[in-house]
Amino acid sequence: MAVIAHTAHKDKLAIHRLGLWLFIISDSFLFLGLLFSRFYLQGVRRPPEINQPLGLAISIVLILSSLAAYRGETAAAYGDIKRFRRNILLTLGLGALFLVGVGLEWSEAFRSFPPSTGYGTIFFTLTGFHAFHVVTGLLALTVALLPGQRARLQEGNSWGVEAVVKYWHFVDVAWVFIFPTLYLVS
Amino acid sequence: MSKPSLAAKLRLGFYVLGALMVVEVTEYVIGTRVKRGAWPYLAILTLPGALPILYYFMHIKQLWHHEE
Repeated sequence: MAVIAHTAHKDKLAIHRLGLWLFIISDSFLFLGLLFSRFYLQGVRRPPEINQPLGLAISIVLILSSLAAYRGETAAAYGDIKRFRRNILLTLGLGALFLVGVGLEWSEAFRSFPPSTGYGTIFFTLTGFHAFHVVTGLLALTVALLPGQRARLQEGNSWGVEAVVKYWHFVDVAWVFIFPTLYLVS
Repeated sequence: MSKPSLAAKLRLGFYVLGALMVVEVTEYVIGTRVKRGAWPYLAILTLPGALPILYYFMHIKQLWHHEE
């Protein structure tokens, strides 16, 4: 009986993971479309006013948040609830810091290349679409900290945390492509 | 095969972080120093930037190698 229950749990987990990956793949097509539109509309031209050091700084913040999310997920899988909570809180803080960085970048960009310009259209669409994903990721990570989810972790079910953290890493992967496309290509 | 310890898994995260930092800084140096024709190098560098996240953090191999 226990073997059947274990197999059913494994199958369910595999289906959940496949569903999440299909969602991630479909979402990545949207990012791909926007990335290609940058080259289609503007070629490899880049305005000299773009703040490259700030772009690097927020990239590092997002990578650090990915590490914190990985540590949180791993801790959850091993039943270390205290470490899980600490790392997810750190991820939330770093994600919020990333958004502050994007806000600073936007305030500069509004003056240098507003959304009415060709490059501004691409810049604000791409960074805005990505920032929206960051916000939804932060909301999902917050849900992972709620008491109901904690109870599931204590029962050994860490799928909810795994799903949210996978989504967060996806947001990071998207930025790995956005950063050079908007800030560095010339 | 025995499950790796929590400490070993957490350590792996730092190795991945180190690799990603190197890639990001290299991209930045190329993007700021190379005035023309930087895009092919940057395009190539996105792969070592994305693959470690996909493999080690997102565990993409779970799709074809079932594990818990």
